[in-house]
Amino acid sequence: MSGVKLQSIVKAYGAVQVVHGIDLEVQEKEFVVLVGPSGCGKSTTLRMVAGLEEISGGELTIDGKVMNRVAPKDRDVAMVFQNYALYPHLNVANNIAFGLKIRKESKQDIEDAVAEVGGILGLTEYLDRKPSDLSGGQRQRVAMGRAIVRRPKVFLFDEPLSNLDAKLRTQMRAEIKRLHKRLGVTSLYVTHDQVEAMTLADRIVVMNDGRIEQIGTPMELFLNPINSFVAGFLGAPPMNQIKATIAAGDTGPLAQFAGGELALAPLADLQNAVGREVIVGIRPEYAQIVTEPTAGSVSCNLDLVETLGSEALLHTTVGDDPFVIRTDTLDKMGVLDAVTGFTAQPDLIKVFDADTGMALAGQTRAA
Amino acid sequence: MSSGPDIEETQTLQIPTRGRMERLVDHMKKDWQLYVLLLPTLIWLLVFLYKPMYGLQIAFKDYSIFRGVAASPWIGFEHFETLFNSEGFMRALRNTIAISFWSLLIGFPMPIFLALMFNEILHRKFKSTAQTIVYLPHFISSVIIAGIVITAFSPGAGIVNTVMGWFGLDPIYFLTKPEWFRPIFIGTTIWQEAGFQSIVFLAAIAGVSPTLYESAVVDGASRWQMMWKITIPSILPTIIIMLIIRIGNMLEVSFEMIILLYQPSTYETADVVNTFIYRQGLQNGQYDFAAAAGLFNAVVAFVLVIGANTIAKRFSRTSLW
Amino acid sequence: MANLNLYSRSDKRFVLINMFLIAIFTISTMYPFIYIASLSLSSGFAARAGQVVLTPIDTTIEAYKYILSQRMFWVSYGNTFFYTIFGTITSLLFLIPGAYALSRPQLYGRRFFNLMVAFTMWFNAGLIPFFLNMRDLGLLDSYIGILIGFAVNGFNLILLRNFFEGVPSSFEEAARMDGANDFQVLWKVYMPLAKPAIATVALFCLVSRWNGFFWAMVLLRDEEKIPLQVYLRHTIATLSNDDEFGATLIDAPYSVETVSAAIIVCSIIPVLIVYPFIQKYFEKGIMLGGVKE
Repeated sequence: MSGVKLQSIVKAYGAVQVVHGIDLEVQEKEFVVLVGPSGCGKSTTLRMVAGLEEISGGELTIDGKVMNRVAPKDRDVAMVFQNYALYPHLNVANNIAFGLKIRKESKQDIEDAVAEVGGILGLTEYLDRKPSDLSGGQRQRVAMGRAIVRRPKVFLFDEPLSNLDAKLRTQMRAEIKRLHKRLGVTSLYVTHDQVEAMTLADRIVVMNDGRIEQIGTPMELFLNPINSFVAGFLGAPPMNQIKATIAAGDTGPLAQFAGGELALAPLADLQNAVGREVIVGIRPEYAQIVTEPTAGSVSCNLDLVETLGSEALLHTTVGDDPFVIRTDTLDKMGVLDAVTGFTAQPDLIKVFDADTGMALAGQTRAA
Repeated sequence: MSSGPDIEETQTLQIPTRGRMERLVDHMKKDWQLYVLLLPTLIWLLVFLYKPMYGLQIAFKDYSIFRGVAASPWIGFEHFETLFNSEGFMRALRNTIAISFWSLLIGFPMPIFLALMFNEILHRKFKSTAQTIVYLPHFISSVIIAGIVITAFSPGAGIVNTVMGWFGLDPIYFLTKPEWFRPIFIGTTIWQEAGFQSIVFLAAIAGVSPTLYESAVVDGASRWQMMWKITIPSILPTIIIMLIIRIGNMLEVSFEMIILLYQPSTYETADVVNTFIYRQGLQNGQYDFAAAAGLFNAVVAFVLVIGANTIAKRFSRTSLW
Repeated sequence: MANLNLYSRSDKRFVLINMFLIAIFTISTMYPFIYIASLSLSSGFAARAGQVVLTPIDTTIEAYKYILSQRMFWVSYGNTFFYTIFGTITSLLFLIPGAYALSRPQLYGRRFFNLMVAFTMWFNAGLIPFFLNMRDLGLLDSYIGILIGFAVNGFNLILLRNFFEGVPSSFEEAARMDGANDFQVLWKVYMPLAKPAIATVALFCLVSRWNGFFWAMVLLRDEEKIPLQVYLRHTIATLSNDDEFGATLIDAPYSVETVSAAIIVCSIIPVLIVYPFIQKYFEKGIMLGGVKE
């Protein structure tokens, strides 16, 4: 089985450690996305899997074999680079065939493979062109073709879409997803764009500062972020995080804010935390607007309404904390300016420790 | 399905440390092909540039061709004493400094003027044609340039004396007159190199943002004002760096050209350190003595170049190489 | 910049004066070449009398006939072609692999090797030790000595290295993942990518080989091996000092001056032919190599 397994993988440049022990198991045919802010070590991790960076510590296995000291070419992995690294002096066909030629495969095999890959990626009519004559999206496809043609055990993608404009990016994202469905090759994909991560991944690995923050399916991470970093990283706009105190209510724990209180899920961990200062996380989508102060709602001051068409973003403040609400516009435009507060379902409210940022355990919500 | 970071555990992860030797062996194994690629160049450097440095020791030896470099007896600083007591060497030193100084003073601003002037030309075709022509002499060999100079300044047939004749001046045999050597030599090198040297400044000018000029035009500045207020301040760093480099290479008078133009009657103003070395060493066979002069020259040049490089680095944070 | 019509009157005057000055400088650069060309086509009598100023007087090609009838002219011309072509090839055979290796960050000891190259540009043992070394290596009076002894030049090496360093490393990484070894990465990826830089360096080598004079004069004793520049120097020097040759010229249709001019023209022509190609590259090349020329 062509899985990739990283055990306590460490990368250090001299005395400076940049990756502090990564544990990750990518199953066969799985599409795993490494996501995180720039400098979080995600690319370095990918390059260690590729063999482009030496592994300073830990063990990497691909397909059950230890790969720490194996040359990149012998790992049976292929990589798509951010700048595509297409050879400008070779036409599309020869760019795709480069790896096969180096490996001295027969002429017929190479021709067949190039034709097939060209067909899959819709490049058949461009095979004679030089990369400089191609559009950004086409170049991107050639770069993928070069990876696909070798039928590797693992695909590695290093921010392959970041050089494209927004529209093409959306389009190529879908193509990569389709391609993965069709070929079913184990894939490890690095990006800093959480939308790419959410849309492409079977599982997402959120990294920060050389460590893994959380691993899970997109929805798991979206609904149950393990800490305030993950909560703030996934979702656009990100999850609101405001200060609150936990209090005991009649029916269960409450979160008390500057402008009101919200009922929390009746979980033991929250009941035990009564009296503690916490950070409460509410996604903009899960806050419901209120135009009259009612019990069980929090009042906020409306600064600004950004209308996006089908929906609108309300920029408000709760006490000193900014709070964004995302709401439908249909039949509501008239009331948006009159918003005075919001409310939220107890099971969609996250509570994080004010000091460590870790979610208070026991909170899970299925999609 | 989730794994939180356990800071305590991960930070104490041990990276197996490997010895220097072991790492070297690793690199050799992995990158041996790179060393194969490097090897010819490396050997070349050792054989043709570093081995002569070893040979420099003859400056402190009584060198004999038959004994070779290593077996010749040491004599300490004798050659240097002779050197600094010899009128010939001191004259060469003075001439080197004088020629460098005047070349710098007159030759350094010329390419800057040229670049500024080229920049003001709007007519594309005129500009590129003029550039093509003024760069050309750089690519012509010094033998040819010297040949042209000798012909042009020759007493009977040369154009210079012909033109002087029109004004009733007596012909002068320029290349035998010590007082004429430096003007002719410096003029020739400027004529040959000024155009080519302007490229660096033109490139610096090309790097100035056009919006600076556009906003100046809107503000009502004249071309002349823009040149003084925008172009020159913008390329000042380049000018200063080039000046530092030129000073660093002061001793590198193009002696090949001097050999081609001077003659015994002009030695008193024309003979520079390198031509002195050439005559003493290669023509008279006083290898050890000439090597001593060469070592002195090389050390002074080294100090100048390193000093210039350091200053330039500090000045612009861009190293020369 | 903007259209001349948009210029103020004083600006127009400024621009015109500037054009005039540039024109003068350009003409003064060109004039000596025109003068020499005219001289070479003039009669020996007109040349000796100093009548040639701009155009040929009593046009004749006798000087060329004389030069082209000299066996040594052809021998040295052939030698120069040999030194230029094979010298450039030799240089590239050293420079390309060396510069590539020096540009690779994974090369262990890279800093040391690069310092070794830079040091040779700061400190030079000088004429005498270099000459004695060539003699000890048995490379005096030898074709090989000229070809190998001047193959590497720090400036060209650094220029190429800088270019290789500027190529995004993902090209090497992609090729490596495709299974290429270092030789293949250089040959199949970096050499094609570096074509402009290699062309620049090749042209620099061609020009310096073609013009090379001093060391050929010092190292080569055998007349059959000397390049054109040495022959040219020799001819100009001996012709102008040799009274006997002068005496034979009294009735000849050529003179010392016209013959010298003719040799000069013959040796400039190949440079003029490749000059357009050189020009295309050298501006870029100068900037590639940092600021030092």
